[in-house]
Amino acid sequence: MEDTKEKQPLVEMIGIVKRFPGVVANDEVNFTLMPGEVHALLGENGAGKTTLMNILYGLYRPDRGTIKIMGRPVTINSPSKAIKLGIGMVHQNFRLIPTHTVAENVILNAPNVGFFIDWQKIHEELRQQIAKYGWRISPESRVWQLSAGEKQQVEILKLLYRGSRILIFDEPTSVLTPQESKMLFTTMRKMAEEGKGVVLITHKLDEALSVSDRITVMRKGRVVLVKPTSMTNRDELALAMIGRQEGASLQPQPGPRTDRPVLSVINLFVEGDKEELAVKGASLDVHRGEILGIAGVSGNGQVELAEAIARVRKVKSGKILLDGKDVTSFTPRQMYENGVAYIPPEGARTGVVSELTVLENAILKSYRYSPISNKLLIRWKEAAKLAGMLIERYQVVAPSINAKVKTLSGGNIQRLVLARELLGNMLTKPKLIIAVYPTSGLDIGAAEYVRANLTSMRNEGAGILLISEDLDELLRMSDRIAVMYEGRVVGIFDGYRASKEEIGMLMARGVG
Amino acid sequence: MPLKLKIHNYYIVFEKRYETGILYKVLVTIIAVIASFIIAGLIFLMLGFSPLEIYKMIINTFTSVGLMHETLLRSTPIILAALGLSIAFKMNFWNIGAEGQLYMGAFAATGVVLLHVYYGMISPDLLLLVMLLASFIAGSAWCLFPAFLKTRLGANEIITTLMMNYIAILFVNYLIFGPWRDPQGYGFPFSVNFPPYARPSLPFMSVGTLMLTWSLVTASLVFSMLKYTIPGFEIRVVGQNLEAAKYAGMNISSTIMLGSLLSGGLSGIAGMVTVTTLIGRLTPDVSPGYGYMAIIVAYLAGLNPLLIIPAGILFGGLLTAGDAMQYALSMPKTGAQILQALIFLFTLLGEFVKRYGVTVVRSGGKDGRS
Repeated sequence: MEDTKEKQPLVEMIGIVKRFPGVVANDEVNFTLMPGEVHALLGENGAGKTTLMNILYGLYRPDRGTIKIMGRPVTINSPSKAIKLGIGMVHQNFRLIPTHTVAENVILNAPNVGFFIDWQKIHEELRQQIAKYGWRISPESRVWQLSAGEKQQVEILKLLYRGSRILIFDEPTSVLTPQESKMLFTTMRKMAEEGKGVVLITHKLDEALSVSDRITVMRKGRVVLVKPTSMTNRDELALAMIGRQEGASLQPQPGPRTDRPVLSVINLFVEGDKEELAVKGASLDVHRGEILGIAGVSGNGQVELAEAIARVRKVKSGKILLDGKDVTSFTPRQMYENGVAYIPPEGARTGVVSELTVLENAILKSYRYSPISNKLLIRWKEAAKLAGMLIERYQVVAPSINAKVKTLSGGNIQRLVLARELLGNMLTKPKLIIAVYPTSGLDIGAAEYVRANLTSMRNEGAGILLISEDLDELLRMSDRIAVMYEGRVVGIFDGYRASKEEIGMLMARGVG
Repeated sequence: MPLKLKIHNYYIVFEKRYETGILYKVLVTIIAVIASFIIAGLIFLMLGFSPLEIYKMIINTFTSVGLMHETLLRSTPIILAALGLSIAFKMNFWNIGAEGQLYMGAFAATGVVLLHVYYGMISPDLLLLVMLLASFIAGSAWCLFPAFLKTRLGANEIITTLMMNYIAILFVNYLIFGPWRDPQGYGFPFSVNFPPYARPSLPFMSVGTLMLTWSLVTASLVFSMLKYTIPGFEIRVVGQNLEAAKYAGMNISSTIMLGSLLSGGLSGIAGMVTVTTLIGRLTPDVSPGYGYMAIIVAYLAGLNPLLIIPAGILFGGLLTAGDAMQYALSMPKTGAQILQALIFLFTLLGEFVKRYGVTVVRSGGKDGRS
């Protein structure tokens, strides 16, 4: 570690500022990468890690700040410029042509290949690289035959073939099995030994601790901690990621909590997207008139739990009861009819159809029910009345109800989703609201608006299951907080009296 | 981030547009069609034909009453199949099997006629109605099978619908060269001639006008189905955002099945129209590729059912003019297809221009846009 201080840094990013409409994604961020180190960039979703690295890779241009590569100030205005400077990025979704061979993918768009391709030479070079890292792929195999981990190796080969010295991995293990992840970490260490600089973007504490030499923690667009890995620990990192108690928080008000659970989840098991068990025996109750917050480092099964309860994800085993009735085998439509509202994660992507109009999106759930339609035809006049009312009441800023939703800002899309969900079905207001990251990506004003609406629904007697990565938000809003760790509920706190440190510890290691 | 292309001292900048007016879209389409006529003219010139003469022939197709009648007859199967495709394409179901579905419709319509002619089944008054139903069912069955494979097994519908085309065409050929060959046909591969009451006609209207009316009615029905009915709304949502459809509680599989049923059924009716109005019996070459032209027409019309009618008439006219070019100028059959292909290419290019604004910027100095 000591001798790296005398070396020239590979990358210096100084005072980087990047604003998006309504959010400051990077606020005066400094970041350095030394040759020969694996540097973990740690933070929750939306902390600004990926934005920072996209700036380095030339996908975004910073509003302010300087970037130096090996001491020289540079302007990186495109990925091709970044590649020329020796910067390479492995994205979460692979950019490979499945029907081509490994070698064909590697040389695609690579400089210095020339007009006539010397396949023998290229295959030989690639074979040496592959052997060096102890991989098992062949330059001649077709990409579609490879596993996710092997495809990632092809992506790495692409970067090495272009002579990248700075390698950025964006959440690389999200598509890998544990064994493949281990293999990837070995590769990263080897690349560091060769004098390259490796950046690992992750939200997983264990990954950062096990593979990196140095860790930078980001939270809400700022760098909050930079330390050599050997000089920090889980608890310090967890608290840095989550943030210390901020003084001026709103005075929270307990809700009219009743003893009647509106939702009971009993020993639920749910599979995630990769058919791994994401929820492993979770149990909890949500009562009428309370907000039950769920805290957890992302990827501990919270989203899968919510999706299973909303019935958009299959339940493997266990039971879901709504007002005491077994609804485990219900469809999303039946849940809607029974008074369950669901605010999905990434509402702008999954909660609306951006190519359709505000009007059409306003009735995305109620289109089958009177008075919006009879059994066959949609009554657009009634629909327009409803859409106009929703827009007005929830202050959705839209050019008109006939404007496509893609012309709206993220905050206004979220307001639209919220308006539609909180309306309930055409008969009653929702009695259970499942809200997943309802304020993520919103500016402060819009976020406060969403929180106020959820709170008032609770005060009117609805039960609310709130999943958030913002612990401050959970502490301010929740009557009770359940902590999820590795697919289980490991503890339940009384919301307004819980200590942030206590919850943070439980989130980080599963035991208090 | 806009895409930039540098040519000498200029940048061509492509920037994504969010809203495009209907006028702009129509203008782009018209320019695309005109541009393809100009390029085709150059190719005809190189082949030694006078482009002016060819343009005149094409214009003639739309001005002479007799040729216009032929044009309307030939455009009807294209329009009906394209209307079916617009439903499938709206829900992101890439049905390129309209040709096969059309052959199956022709097969079913002929089958009903043969039942009547050979076995005396079905009264003459009901014959056309039964043919209509049979061709709809046969066409939709040919589309439902790939839809079933997609929803149950995740099989790619582009491949399956395409393969189903070959099955349908070969099946019809087998019938025509085998059991369905007209015993009094001197060995030619034709079915028996359809009796007059198996061919649509009205006393006060020409068949061409009748078919145009039929197209207009069908287009209005498709348009209203998509806009005003619950399944139409579901089809549009499923096509645009599968996750949102699932989240909204829609049954994605049954939506795809229903859309495919309508899509294939309309192509099936196109097949019945072909055998009853144009040929009057089943032949091995029922369709000169109406089902494939329908794909171009559906796109040229931007999947708008009402715009499919003019686009389909344009293609019907090109077919008619193509025949004239073949006879009058002894131009090879592929000559007219050059024009069709160019219209398709320019339409695709037009799609790009509709989505991206194109500006040319002089390079040099600080580049302020990015």
